[in-house]
Amino acid sequence: MGNLIKTNRSVPIVLALLAGFALLVTVLSEAYGSGGLSVSLTKTLGMTVCLCIIALSMDMVWGYSGILSLGHFAFFALGGYMIGMWLMYARTEDVIAASLAQGQLPATPAELNDAIAVQIFGVVGGDSFPWMWAFSHSLVAQLALVVLVPGILAFVFGWLAFRSRVTGVYLSILTQAMTLALSLYLFQNDTGLRGNNGLSGLQNIPGAEAIPQSQISIWFLWASIAALALAYVFAAWVMSGKFGNVIRGIRDDEARVRFLGYSVEGYKLFVFVVSAIMAGVAGALYYPQAGIINPDELAPIASIYLAVWVAIGGRGRLYGAVIGAAVVSLLSTWFTGGRAPDINLGFYTIQWVDWWTVLLGLGFVLVTLFAPKGLGGLVDLMTRKGEAK
Amino acid sequence: MTRLILAALAALSFLASPVASQDAPDAPLQTILQTHHDLVESASRRTVQTVLDDLIASGLPEVPAFLERWQARELYMRQSDGRFVYVQDEDADPLVLIDIDSGAEIGTAGSREVDQLRANRGVQTVIGAALVQFQLLSPDIATRATALEAIDRAPEPDQMPLIATMLEAETDPDLRADAESLLLRMTIAFGEDEAERVAAIESLAGRIDVQTRAALNPLLATRTGVASQLPEDANIAAVLEPGSDALPRLEAYDILVEEGLAPAFVSADDRRETLIANIEDGQIVGIQVHSLDNEEARIAAYAALVEAGLAPVSPTDEEVDAALAAHVFYEEYREASAAVTSAAEETVSAINTRVSILEMVDLSLDGISLASIYFLAAIGLAITFGVMGVINMAHGEFIMMGAYTGYVVQTIVPDYTVSIVIALPLAFAITFGAGVAMERTVIRWLYSRPLETLLATFGISIALQQITRQIFGAQARPFTAPDWLAGSLSFNDVVAISYIRIAIFVLGVLFFCLLWLILNKTRLGLEVRAVTQNPSMASSMGINPDKINMLTFGLGSGIAGIAGVAIGLFAQVTPELGANYIVQSFMTVVVGGVGNIFGTLAGATMIGFFQKGVEWLNPSNTLAAQTYMILFVILFIQFRPKGIVALKGRAAEM
Repeated sequence: MGNLIKTNRSVPIVLALLAGFALLVTVLSEAYGSGGLSVSLTKTLGMTVCLCIIALSMDMVWGYSGILSLGHFAFFALGGYMIGMWLMYARTEDVIAASLAQGQLPATPAELNDAIAVQIFGVVGGDSFPWMWAFSHSLVAQLALVVLVPGILAFVFGWLAFRSRVTGVYLSILTQAMTLALSLYLFQNDTGLRGNNGLSGLQNIPGAEAIPQSQISIWFLWASIAALALAYVFAAWVMSGKFGNVIRGIRDDEARVRFLGYSVEGYKLFVFVVSAIMAGVAGALYYPQAGIINPDELAPIASIYLAVWVAIGGRGRLYGAVIGAAVVSLLSTWFTGGRAPDINLGFYTIQWVDWWTVLLGLGFVLVTLFAPKGLGGLVDLMTRKGEAK
Repeated sequence: MTRLILAALAALSFLASPVASQDAPDAPLQTILQTHHDLVESASRRTVQTVLDDLIASGLPEVPAFLERWQARELYMRQSDGRFVYVQDEDADPLVLIDIDSGAEIGTAGSREVDQLRANRGVQTVIGAALVQFQLLSPDIATRATALEAIDRAPEPDQMPLIATMLEAETDPDLRADAESLLLRMTIAFGEDEAERVAAIESLAGRIDVQTRAALNPLLATRTGVASQLPEDANIAAVLEPGSDALPRLEAYDILVEEGLAPAFVSADDRRETLIANIEDGQIVGIQVHSLDNEEARIAAYAALVEAGLAPVSPTDEEVDAALAAHVFYEEYREASAAVTSAAEETVSAINTRVSILEMVDLSLDGISLASIYFLAAIGLAITFGVMGVINMAHGEFIMMGAYTGYVVQTIVPDYTVSIVIALPLAFAITFGAGVAMERTVIRWLYSRPLETLLATFGISIALQQITRQIFGAQARPFTAPDWLAGSLSFNDVVAISYIRIAIFVLGVLFFCLLWLILNKTRLGLEVRAVTQNPSMASSMGINPDKINMLTFGLGSGIAGIAGVAIGLFAQVTPELGANYIVQSFMTVVVGGVGNIFGTLAGATMIGFFQKGVEWLNPSNTLAAQTYMILFVILFIQFRPKGIVALKGRAAEM
């Protein structure tokens, strides 16, 4: 750890800031503090922290390894779907068991199962559980799947792609195709995850009906902050030392590293899979706060936005990704939430709800053209010394 | 009894009507009607046929016109003498009466002195059926066609001679073909003679129209039957094995139960119902209800009920099997004649083979047209991305701008043909300008950083989309194809292709030839290739790389604009139009092989055909087809990372 702090001086600063942030939100929270922070704002902050985690994972593959993945939200959403299956199953089970208890005969396990299936899948015309719900009754199994499903998908995809030496733009387009294919697949009603209805009611935690959302939301915010801190330390640790050097070497000149005798494919695959798992965990924390997940979340555009956050924050430096995701997504929420003051030009009123996207788009262009180091470049200006070479 | 009274009344009225005999020589129609006076006056669906038969048998030339007026409720009866008349103008007062035979005016009457004979709906139908035979022989071709269609909707066996009569005189070839086809189908359905029917069925071989198939299919309708022995006289289609896919075990047993050949099987649901019905004070024959939370306990409780005589015995599995083994299940044709069904079977299978071959042809046409759409959407990218290596995420928005150009031109120029002729070059000019502007301001600074071009152009893409939404709104805008592009070219009932798809195919071919010529046969093309292969070498040869890059990017963007006009004609013109095509376009270029337009053509063809092929396997689901298409592309790239048409030698080094 001491070594890690020496090689990446941002780690203690970021950890301290996160701790301060956690303390601040607790003091302001409705459940434990003054109540200055509304439940919905708490959730927004919690979700933003999750987005910071996936931005961090994106930075690992793009900023450090040079793999521009335009499909990272596929992993994020899969993590969400995996936890969502348990949330939805367990909650429906509670409701159905309560309603069946009113019946004249106690329900058999088969009857209970059928009734839950009809409740969940009736909306897409189904009446039995698809195979992929085999473990949905078990929280432990679904938590394992949160890690396994994105991990295995990333492993298979990465193994195929890196082995064939698909790189650069081609890889970006392939990852984009992957998330598009997955999203189209999930949009079908008969594929087992409720088609375009998605999974809903995820904010209701089974067994915690008595606990108010004001408490649950702050717990999720704490969990998200803790996860971000862990992810940050982990990413910093992976990218420090020899492993990090090789990875950066691959980014800068893949062929040369290969000629030096390193298994380039293995390194890339490792980073890709680890990053996908991080994204999956972030998704599993995000969607219970969002309350609903549907295949729109996997649309290619979401993953492009992710790349843009990292670019704006400054890629190749972990805190850059965090800053980028936090700043852009919070600004987006602020502008599109109708809270930003409209500008009256006399002949035309600029309503930010509409014009924010235009501003954002032009912002990307300007950042790409004039600030290739992103917001993280500002830190360089202050410290006069770059973090990542 | 009623009939007797009616008959007596009829006889009385006959006696009481002096008009009848008096007018007989010069008024034959009136005479016939007066013979059946009461049946005409109070016509009913069941009795009116007698009158009609006599009228038709008389062969009088006035009969068709009379029937039409009767059907249209234009027939009146004079109360004073019971004479049937028409009136000249039903709103006039007094009414001017017209003789039904001669058409001459025969005096006037107040509206209270005549009764209008309002034929009810049932009578109208019967009269209509009788009218058909006259309409079939009508000199007016439209009337004949309508009558034929009416028969086709609800054919009756006794109409067959009518059509045969019509055919003797019919001269119009189309109508004749229709009538022959209808007669053939009616022969199949109602024919008395087996050989005749078989011959008719066999003569249909090779016909693929829907009507033929609809005529043959009822012959092959079956019903499931069960018996202890296979019946000798039935026309058996197949013997079913209980427990097979065609007849699951419990379904077979249910048939036995329905036929009363076996005791009912008590399903889990039935058991539950019976148990609930027998609950007394929280107990069922001494068993606590709350203990019945699993299937075994319920079975035991049910057995207790059976023992107590409160529920029917459920057959055991062995008994079910024994009952099934004791009976034979079969599919029996509803049609009794085996010769007819086997002929129909053969003909239908021959037709099906032919239809499936034609479906393949149709599918290929669909594949070609989908490929042309992908090609059109991707061809601009083939230049900007394929040749120059610039990832332009705003390419889709150039397509969208092209489509909106078409829409705007159409709001100004109302003539659809002219507006498209104007829109095509205008769209090129606009998107060429936009492309050049984008290249000059953004892209030229990023040639060394291709992945960042992606981000910058993505920014432009979402900004353009949002600006379009601000100007035109989020809902789809109408951009209509001219009439000569509407409709479709149909070769037969199975193979058809819409003209707009043909137009897109032609446009795709044109673009392909044009671009090939520009890139390979012109000075500009030479310079483009030089600059993309080695900019510094090219510039030392006196080529201005800045200018060439600008022109190339403009060309690719301009072509996207023209493609947008074409795509806008069949797709919804919305701000998201281009975004829907962008990922597929990139895949088309990548699969085809970067760097030349032959690759894009190959990529579009492969993707188009693959997607249509999957849709053919699972027709209801285009989402699945797209999913598998993308998966296929991902796998394809693994095995051929450079695409179908991979450049070799120095060009591949770029």
